[in-house]
Order: sequence, then C-alpha cells, then structure tokens
Amino acid sequence: MMATGTAVDVVMPQMGVSVSEGTITKWLKSEGEEITADEALLEISTDKVDTEVPSPASGVIQQILAEEGDTVAVGTKIAVIAPEGAPTETPDEAPPEPATQEAADEAAAASGAEGETPTAEKVEEEAPLPASAQEPPAEPAQQAEAPAAQPEADGDGRPEGKFVSPVVARIASEHDVDVSQVEGTGRGGRVTKKDILGYIESGAAAQAPTEPPQAAPTAAPAEAPPQAEPPQAAPQPAPTAAAGAQPGETLEPMSAMRKGIAEHMRRSLDTSAHVTSAIEVDMTKIATLRQKLKREWADAYGVNPTFLAFVARAVVDTLKDYPWINGEIRGDQIVTRNYVNLGFAVELAEGKGLIVPVVRNAEGLNLLGMARAIADVAKRARDKQLLPDDVQGGTFTITNPGGYGTFHGTPVISQPQAAILGTYAVVKRPWVVQDEDEQDAIAIRSIMNLTLTYDHRLVDGALAGRFLHDLRERLQSWEESGE
Amino acid sequence: MPVKTYLQAISDGLRQEMQRDKRVFVIGEDVGVYGGAFKVTQGFQEEFGPWRVIDAPLSETAIVGGCTGAAIMGMRPVAEMQFADFISCAWDHLVTVAAKQRYRAGTPVPITVRLPSGGGFSGGPFHSQNPESSFAHIPGLKVVCPATPADAKGLLIEAIQDPNPVLYFEHKHLYRRIKDEVPDERYSIPFGEARTHREGDDLTVVTWGAMVYTAAEAAQQVEGDGISVEIIDVRTLAPWDKQAVLASVEKTSKALVLHEDTLTGGFGAEIAATIGQEAFEHLDAPVRRIAAPDTPVPFAPVLEKAFIPQVDDVAAGIRELAEY
Amino acid sequence: MAIAREAEPVGSLNEIKEAGLDREDLLGIFRNLVLTRGIEERGHILYKQGKIPGSFYTGRGNEAASVGVGTAMGPEDVGTPLHRDMGVHIVRGVEPWRIFAQFMGRADGPTKGKDGNVHMADDRLGLIAMVSHLPAMLPVAVGCALAFRIREEARVAVAWFGEGASARGDTHEGMNFAGVRRLPVVFVCDNNQWAYSTPTHLEYACEHLADRSKAYGFDGVVVDGTDVLAVYREAKAAIEKAREGDGPTLIECLTLRMEGHAVHDDASYVPKEMFEEWAKRDPIERFRTWLRENADFTDEAEEEIRGDVKKLLNDAIRRAEESPEPGVDTLLEGVYATPEDLDTPHHK
Repeated sequence: MMATGTAVDVVMPQMGVSVSEGTITKWLKSEGEEITADEALLEISTDKVDTEVPSPASGVIQQILAEEGDTVAVGTKIAVIAPEGAPTETPDEAPPEPATQEAADEAAAASGAEGETPTAEKVEEEAPLPASAQEPPAEPAQQAEAPAAQPEADGDGRPEGKFVSPVVARIASEHDVDVSQVEGTGRGGRVTKKDILGYIESGAAAQAPTEPPQAAPTAAPAEAPPQAEPPQAAPQPAPTAAAGAQPGETLEPMSAMRKGIAEHMRRSLDTSAHVTSAIEVDMTKIATLRQKLKREWADAYGVNPTFLAFVARAVVDTLKDYPWINGEIRGDQIVTRNYVNLGFAVELAEGKGLIVPVVRNAEGLNLLGMARAIADVAKRARDKQLLPDDVQGGTFTITNPGGYGTFHGTPVISQPQAAILGTYAVVKRPWVVQDEDEQDAIAIRSIMNLTLTYDHRLVDGALAGRFLHDLRERLQSWEESGE
Repeated sequence: MPVKTYLQAISDGLRQEMQRDKRVFVIGEDVGVYGGAFKVTQGFQEEFGPWRVIDAPLSETAIVGGCTGAAIMGMRPVAEMQFADFISCAWDHLVTVAAKQRYRAGTPVPITVRLPSGGGFSGGPFHSQNPESSFAHIPGLKVVCPATPADAKGLLIEAIQDPNPVLYFEHKHLYRRIKDEVPDERYSIPFGEARTHREGDDLTVVTWGAMVYTAAEAAQQVEGDGISVEIIDVRTLAPWDKQAVLASVEKTSKALVLHEDTLTGGFGAEIAATIGQEAFEHLDAPVRRIAAPDTPVPFAPVLEKAFIPQVDDVAAGIRELAEY
Repeated sequence: MAIAREAEPVGSLNEIKEAGLDREDLLGIFRNLVLTRGIEERGHILYKQGKIPGSFYTGRGNEAASVGVGTAMGPEDVGTPLHRDMGVHIVRGVEPWRIFAQFMGRADGPTKGKDGNVHMADDRLGLIAMVSHLPAMLPVAVGCALAFRIREEARVAVAWFGEGASARGDTHEGMNFAGVRRLPVVFVCDNNQWAYSTPTHLEYACEHLADRSKAYGFDGVVVDGTDVLAVYREAKAAIEKAREGDGPTLIECLTLRMEGHAVHDDASYVPKEMFEEWAKRDPIERFRTWLRENADFTDEAEEEIRGDVKKLLNDAIRRAEESPEPGVDTLLEGVYATPEDLDTPHHK
C-alpha cells in the first residue's frame, strides 16, 4: 500500500498459471469516486474462476481504461488511482529530447586547439595477416566445395576442386599460401594439415610428405626454425628480389612471424596518421611505494609490482575520460567502448619477434590484479601457451621499449587501434622541485618518459596532450592506498 | 607403492574416509552383513557397526531420499546402488530434491551415490547400463567416472567431501581386472580435470571408464601403422575438462569421442558439439563418435560383443579418421 | 473397519496444563492462528491485485493442525511442512515480511526469487523447503531422523503429507524404512478430504490413513484437525515418544480444505453442505470459544492480539514491497554448493 504521490495502476491479475486473459464483468466504482485499499473495485471472469479484484491503493479513481465486457491480457493496465492527497494531474509526460548537438559539440571541442578538423578517411579493411595479433581471417585461400562431406564412400568420385578443412584454410590464410599449390595426401587427394605445414616449413619443392616438424599453428607464432629457401607465393610486392648471396653476405629466409610483423608494420603506417607526443613523469612516489610493496607482494602473492603495472592501472582509469583514444575508426564511424582490452607488447627471445597478448576487461582490475595479469600473459607468451583469444580484441596497447635504457621512441600503432603508449627507462635525474618555503630547489627524482603515438585521423594533438597530462597527474599523485 | 585392484582402491578409500570422519556412513542393499553385492564393503560392518554400515530395505527412494535428509542434518552419506541401473528408481528424488535444493533453498546436499555400472559379462538389460548422460544433464548434480585404481580412490574421496550430490560410476567390469599402483595416503582429485592416458600427435580419443582400456589397446594396435594416438581420459562428466580436450584437439586436429553408453544423446554428443563449435578452425576432419548402438543391452554374448565397442571397432575408427 | 485410535477432544485448562501449556502459551497459540490466517488472507488479496506471480495456495481450515503440531516440536527438532502448513513456519519464527517477499519473488524472500509460494524454509529454524512432487520430502525427513539415530541425538523429525500424496511410493518407502529402524520421526497427514478435485474415496480404500501405520509396525491416531489443543496433545505425545527412542507415529489430522486447491480454483466440485458444516468448526473460532470458556479470554485481550497482528501484517507487506527484485545476474548463481556452504552448525 504505497502512499506516495504517484498514481497507482490497477492491472488485470493472473488467476492461475495457465490463465492469460480476463474479462471485466462489472465495475463497482466509476471515475471520480473514492475508494479504499483492498476494497472491491471490479469483478472479473477468467477460464478458471470468477472473482472480485481488490483495489491496490486508497484514493480517487482517476481513469478507467477498459469497459465492461472487454477481455484483456493479464498484466494490462485497466485503471489508474490517484492516491489521496495527490492533486489530480493529467498523467502525460513527454520524455525530454536528448541533445542532438552533443556529438557535434564534442567533435568541435576536440579539434579546437589544433585548428584541424579530422577527416574520416575510408579505410579498406584488408585481410589482416600477422601471426601475432589478429583474429583468424574470414576468407580461406581456396574453396571449391562446401566442407562436411561424409568421407566414407565418395573418395574417388571427387570433382576438380578439393575439400579444404577448417584448419588447413586457416593456416593457408595466415601464411598466405595458395592451397592448390600444395600436394595433398589426404582422402581424395585433399591437402591435410600435415601437408600444408610441411609445405610451409620445407618450401614448395616438397613432394612426398617426409616427417614435417610438428608445429602448432595457433595464433601464437609458430617458432619453426627457418629451413632452406624462402617460400614463394607472396602476393605483396617483395621489397627486393633475393637473387642469391653476394660475397660477404649471408641469406636467411624470413620466418612466418617476421613476415607477418613486416606486413603489419607497413600497413599500419600506411593506414594511420602517426604522430607522437611525449611527457616526463616524476615516478618518485611510485618508486618508493614499489619498494614497499615488493616485499609484501613477494610473500603474499608471488608477483612483482612493476612500474608497468602502475602505468597500466593509471592508463585504464585515464582512458575512461578519453574514449576516442581507446577507440577505432571503422568505415566512417568512430567506435568507442565501455571496456578496455589492454595489449602488452612482449618481446620473444632475441630478435625472433614480438607478440601482443591482451588482458581483457582491464578496467576491472586493481593494481594487484593488473600485475598478475601482466605477469601471466607475458609468461604464456614466452612459453607459447597463448590461445587465439589472447591476442585478439585489444583496444589499446602499451609497449615498453625503455627496457634497454632508451628515453624516447615512436612505436607503431597496432591496427585497428587508435594509439599506443610507450614507456621508457626510469632514470634518476636532478629535478626542480618546490621546497618547504615554496622556493625552487634541486632534488634527485626518478623520472620516466612516456610517449603516446596516436592516429591523427581520430586523435588530435590537444586531446593527446590532455590525456598525457591527466595520466601524469595520476601517476605523480599516486596514493599509497590507491589501487 | 602398493598395487591394488580397482575394487580394492575404492574399498580402501572408503574405509579410510570412514575412519577419518565419523559423519561418513554407508547405506545400501546388502552392504552390511553381506559386504555388498560386489564385496566393496566387506568387513565394514564389523569395523564400523550397524549404524554406520546400514542394510537398507529394498527401496532406492528411501535410500537416496534418506541420504539427502541425513546430509542436510550434517552427515556425509555414501549410498550404494546395487547396480547403477536401479538408480532409475531414485531418479525422481535425485533430480527433484537433491539437485535443486542448493539453488532454490541455499541448502547444500553433500551426498555420494556409488553406482556399479557397465557391461561385458552378459548382465543383460538391467545390470549393464551406463546411465550417466541423463544425470550429467541435470544442473546441480555432479557425475564422476574413474578408470584407474588411483583415480577411483582420489575421486571417491573428492566425491565424499564435495558439498554437492555426486553420482560416482564405478565400472564393475574393471573391479578385478585392472590392477595398478595406488598411493596409501589420503589424496583427492579435483573434478573437471582430465588425465592424458596416452600422448600422441595424429588424433585425439576422448573417453572415460572402461573404454579407456579399449582405446589404449586400439592405440597400441595402430601404432604399428604409424598412427600416433593421444587418449584423454576426462574422468568426470559434470564438470568436464573442456580446456584439456580442446588443447589436445588443437594439437592433433582430429577427434574421436568414445563411450560405452548408447550413441544418441550420450555424453559424447555434448563433447563432440563443443569441439565442433570451439575448435572448428583446428579441425582437419569431422568429429567422430563411437558408442554402443541405440538398443537396450543385450544378454547373449555374441550380441553383447556386437553392442559394446570392441578394440577392433575402435582401431578401425581410428584408422579411418587418420586417413581422412 | 478402522484400526487407528481416535483422539479425544481436549477438556479443561488443567488438562492442557498437563500437556505442558500454560495460559500465556495458549494466548500465543491464538495469536499464531490469527497470524497464519492473516498472512494467507492478505496474500490472497495481493494475488488478486496482481502483485504475486504464479499461483497462490492457502491452508484455510488447516491452521489448527499446523499450529498445533508446530507448537509441539522441540527447538532442535526439524520438519518438512507443506503448502497447507503455513502455521508451522509462523510457530518456528519465520518473519512474515520475508514470507510476503517470497510470495512476490523478491530478493529478500528465503529463496531469493528462485522458487515461489510456500516452497521456502529457513534451515536455521529447522525447516526444509518443500518441492512440488509430493511427498518427496517424506523420505528426506526420515533421513534426518536417521542422522539423529546414528548420532544418538534426542531430536525428532516431523514429516507432513496430504491424503492425496499418500498414494505415492515415497510415502510407503519412507514409512517402511522408518518403522523397520524405529527412527525418531513423526508422520503428520493433513487429510483435508480433497486432493485438488479428487475426494478421499478415490485416493485410498481403507477407512483411515492412520490405519496404515500398523502395516509399518507403529501406531496411528486420527484427530480432529480443527481442535488445536487436541492436535497439540497428540503431536506432543508422539514427538516425545519418538525422542525417547520408541519409534514413529502416524497422526492423521482431519479437516476440510476451505478454499480451492489454489486461489484460481473455486472448488465448485465440493458439495456446499460440506463447506457449511465445516465452517461451523472453523479452527480459530473454536479455539476462541474454548479460551472464553476455559481461560478467561476477554474482548480486550482479543482486540489487542488482533490489532497487533494487523499492524504486523501491514508493516510486513510494506517492507516486502520495498524489497528489490532479484538481479538477473543471480540467475546462474548457486547451482552448485561450495565448501563454504558447509560451514554451518549442522555440518560440524
């Protein structure tokens, strides 16, 4: 019995589980009359029983919405009661119009300082290739007939085009191999997984399937030791024709991963308008906190509170205010999200390449959770235990070129994201600070550079600058109790 | 490490638990004075007394329903169905009360029901079934099917300590035929963890219970033809180790699901559908199933042999898949 | 040919004192009767106002039987009451607002919206939630008694079943097992003469269901289910007998189901004369009269109790209406128990 100021609806009750409608046989009150709660308001008839319906509230009957003799579905509003004390108003409300100018205003504000208006270029979605970071492509290399044939009887009566199984199709696409060039030893002469793997490992000349190395063709890069000649069938323009070693030169074929990285880097630079902004961050507070947490966490959790974890945590919070930096250009639309799938560039054993595993829903992790997640994906990346899901769907990437002491860089954006953050070495430097008398003084502080390389088609310098500024503020004012 | 039969491992595990925890008691038909139809509880009544090894009337509902009530009051009952087939008499109770009490009333029902299952010895239609899939389908129940003596002990101990109703299928054709090392100490094996019974590269056989040994023999047979078979023993059906199965299929790209229960709607269908959906792009061949045909278990030996998947049947299925 | 004993009605205050109740207790019983009926009447109205989904069942006419047995249970005893036994929940201390929240499928109901109407119970109050398949809980209550027997605890389980449910195997199997092992369980049959639209002569062929007790090796008694004190006296005796290790008893409480099987059923198949006759034996009216005649029950005292109950119900409904609906994210929760769930006094 709610005695609030709002009107109370009277609905057709459900008299039994299988009953779906009821008929109003008699109204016991009319519009304008008073009624008390639980007093009989009307009589109804259903399949199962005839009964009275008691009023749900006390007040005045404001509206009767169905007539005697009407049959209505269970749950239908049949009357409205204005509770006592409430002024009788007509209950029509137009919901407020949402501001349509909002999106346009936001765009204008973003491009304000720079004076440039972003032009959304149409970018053709090419079939992504790198073994590292993309989802399995949609188009298989060659497919003459639909799969799922019953293999029992019709092995011999197959037409020209051969069946390509899902795994073979995927491997072919990832490595850009034309399946029709591969010798098949499977039923009906089809190309089996072994066949195509052998082809890739040992080159086109491979006829009889000798025991090919068992490579795992998942999205984790196949660390196949490079064999004799480089494989052909590359639809991209080859940079130089490898004619043979000149005196003093050694040739080695590019691994599948290396080719993938090369293609991805080139395409990324061709797609995005790469601009980099840099900022210096005083990490002294965090450095102190790190020392403290190192001991605590080693005992309790067995995980290291790295600088990267702090940065990642701060990045995730900052991205909430800068959705475009966590966004994407898709066709002529701008995609923004309510989640952050954070990619971390992980270097594989020297020179072999890099992979970018993704920590999904990083916005839900606190500092400890972030440190753990980073340690986990890094380990699995190095142990080649990543699954396809682990390298897809990233929305923002952090790379750490500063591991070797460098203080600046301009990383390449991982398509189709809009930006990538680079972190560099934390170095002790003389720094100007304010002493107790608010005078300038020199102190030794731990300074780290951050760079944001961003796609200027979507992100303007001012936006990037504000993002870095806010990120720095978060890092420099990290509270010990913060997470 | 001592070597025990599958039956001995179960019996020893149960005895250890009863010694350790007074709340554990056994109830079933002929389990007390007689020591159980298969002698799993031989000597138990002498050791634990007639109120911890209870000879029940011929009444599966009273047994299983009674276990539920006792479990709600804090005991850890272990019911023995004389044959797994008789669980149908307590089906209503299991599915209606035991499976749903936690979800709707917040009340856990920590019971274990031991079920001597499976055929291969002319037991006929009512003493040979593997009624596992209908229960694996019911939310709230757990289903466990050990194949080795060591797994039998570890999974039984886990079943007793699990706060949910657990259906423990002990394949009676393994009772005395299988002997292996079983640790003396107490240990439990978590549900939902498969075991790689055999490593291989060319195809994956997913199976459980007595069929693990059939698969192993078949794998041995085809090894000579250069086919390397990996056997994954899932050990538990509800929950089942999806990750392990998928990881193996990603490696080999060919999957064959094998079970002794009948084909249509058998638990292999769930595993096969999952592989098809989640490992589609790793498959180099359709997912195959080998199981008993859709009939009651026949009695005559020649018919039963045609019913239960034999080593030759499995080897042939493996070869066909390998050649695809 | 009847076999079971028929219980005598209760006479004087002294007689009931011998059974362990003083005047305060009696007023408490009256209050519980009024509260039980009040919950169901108010729930009935809420249902017709569309505020309660699904179906709605009442035990109108069974208040004395349920309150009587509930009052006779000891604090450590347990039971499996059914949908006509709201009185048992009230006596054991289930809060009315939570009952309304349960009816309305709100998050604060005992099942948090996972089950409806009277399919609820509070473990801590020694009650186990019923299911629809009747009488599936009867073997469960027997199982509770089994645990008490194994642990040699002086506790008793009470198992309810209706005369319709008596036709199912669960009744037979549970009672047989209990009789064979002389378990500390009391079986209470709510015989309200109609199983939905099926009258008793189409449910069983013996004269009284209590007669069947002999077949299981224990005693049975038929009692007027509208006489709360007679029910109390029989229940108390049976429960204490079980507690002392002398085995089960079957108590058959005879009443008439005064409303339909559920609120959507107008029970037009029940002869009007039956309703008229049994209306004269309304359990609350009967007890009220007895209290006036035997316990100096005044108008003021009655008014106070009724007013108190009315206020309690108003508050309870308001509180229940404020309880939120269960979040959709709770749908998948709780299918399986975790070890933490076993951290209760029962399981130690």
